[in-house]
Amino acid sequence: MPSKVNYATYIGAVLLAIIFLYPLYILFMITFVPTFYTFGQLYPPQLPMGFTLSNVYQSITQLNLIKPVFRSTIVAFIVGGLSLVLGIPAAYGLSKLGARVSNKIIVLLFLINMMPGIVVAIPISVDFLSLGLANIYGVALAQELVVLPLSVFIMLGGFRALPRDLENQARVDGASLGTTMLRVLIPLNRAPIIVAFLLSWMTSWDEFTYAVIISPTSSTFPVQLYNYVTRGVPYEASAISLIVTIPVIIIAAVLQKYLKSQYLTGGMTI
Amino acid sequence: MSSRVNWKYFLLVVPTIIYVLALSIYPALSVVYQSFQTPSGHYTVSNYTALGYYGLQSALIDTLIVSIAALVLQLFLALFIAMIMMKPFKGSKAFSTIVVVPFGVATVVSAFVFSQIFSPVGGYANSFLVGFGLNPVNWAGTSVTQLGIVVFSDYWKNTPLVALILFSGLSGLSPSMFDAATVDGAGPMRRFLHITLPNMAPIMSIALLIRGVSEFNIFALPLVLIGYHPPLINTLVYEFYTTTSGTIYYSYAAATILLVIIMVYAMFVLWRGGAKNYAL
Repeated sequence: MPSKVNYATYIGAVLLAIIFLYPLYILFMITFVPTFYTFGQLYPPQLPMGFTLSNVYQSITQLNLIKPVFRSTIVAFIVGGLSLVLGIPAAYGLSKLGARVSNKIIVLLFLINMMPGIVVAIPISVDFLSLGLANIYGVALAQELVVLPLSVFIMLGGFRALPRDLENQARVDGASLGTTMLRVLIPLNRAPIIVAFLLSWMTSWDEFTYAVIISPTSSTFPVQLYNYVTRGVPYEASAISLIVTIPVIIIAAVLQKYLKSQYLTGGMTI
Repeated sequence: MSSRVNWKYFLLVVPTIIYVLALSIYPALSVVYQSFQTPSGHYTVSNYTALGYYGLQSALIDTLIVSIAALVLQLFLALFIAMIMMKPFKGSKAFSTIVVVPFGVATVVSAFVFSQIFSPVGGYANSFLVGFGLNPVNWAGTSVTQLGIVVFSDYWKNTPLVALILFSGLSGLSPSMFDAATVDGAGPMRRFLHITLPNMAPIMSIALLIRGVSEFNIFALPLVLIGYHPPLINTLVYEFYTTTSGTIYYSYAAATILLVIIMVYAMFVLWRGGAKNYAL
């Protein structure tokens, strides 16, 4: 019985691993294999028939995709940073408010979070235009809406788990609330804070709806990539796709052990 | 705790609450309000009736089909993946890492890769079929195949998230329940049906709520993969929005319909899943 179960498990695991890796394999192939064997064939071979760096070279030199990647990086760091600037005080405040009040506020934040992106994006794009925010900074402000509730929730869990005594000791020793935050509470709570920052960063890196509606020109890389794909320069777009994917895959793999259920389910626990 | 202390801590939360409310409630209200207006500022329902001529019904039905198909596929395979992740076997760590990888791939990138795989000319899916002596498929030919590739691409990107949610649910189940059932003579199938599924129902309803809301909002993936045709709700809204000549009011009306659907769906899942279970 046990060996039979293992056998089935292995087959299932290998099949699923192939399904999950295959699209990435294709991305690597159309990036590094000469276009003659990939885009030039009616039925392209599944195995790499050659190796070239010219696609990568062309996409870096000819397509103007470096700037969007740079802009995406700025936006992602603003979104991640704002999550902490707004989220840390909010999470700390909620941890002090008692479960009854704080849970109601968290539920409110998450219900609002279910608002469709396009419903929010279209009206605020009009307002942002008149406010001079129809650019990547406006995109960052809008994306913050998506990540803020989850960030607050993740960090709230951390603050709730900290022993009260530590904070009281610091206060008795004469530290102000700000000093206690910076010297005691934030360092002790760094794991949830890092997870909140990285999840916000990744969400922003991926986000398309707000980016394309609020800042259709000179926007982040997903919008630019969309423009290039629809205009039909796929082999050069593939190189940039790969370049922007590798760092995020590494973050996802590192985050994997921290990706606990309550983070992913937006704070709803059973 | 005195109320004075409470207020001090509440003030720390106020910026976040104001931020979220200002950037969501206000735009949503203005969408609903303007969906009942003409460009000259009169009240009307013509924006809604006009949507009928622009294929709202089929966009709604297609969005429903894509959402339900994607949800069923993701839930089923994610449960399978989560159960494999539960088993201790050599390489299980590598398996968990591989399975989580698509979660990190940007939606537009995954849409681009799948557009290459399912390209009718020079696509890898067809070269696979031809390699096995089968006929190539014109993936862009019918709306069935087009919606199919959207569902499949969406499944690749989003199943990892569902699998991780279900995995943590499975890890919470007590092994002694399964042992007791085995002693009583229940086989793997009956253990799955009578122990795993009922105990997983609450966390599965959470996964359904989160993924379901995202499925109705599916946008970048169909836009890159199949463009505007056949339209889904979001691509329809976006098409009205980007087309000039006053169709922006149609986009408000279609967006309002989307908003209503999502609210009804969220209420339904919360109600069916038992609001008590969301023990925040």
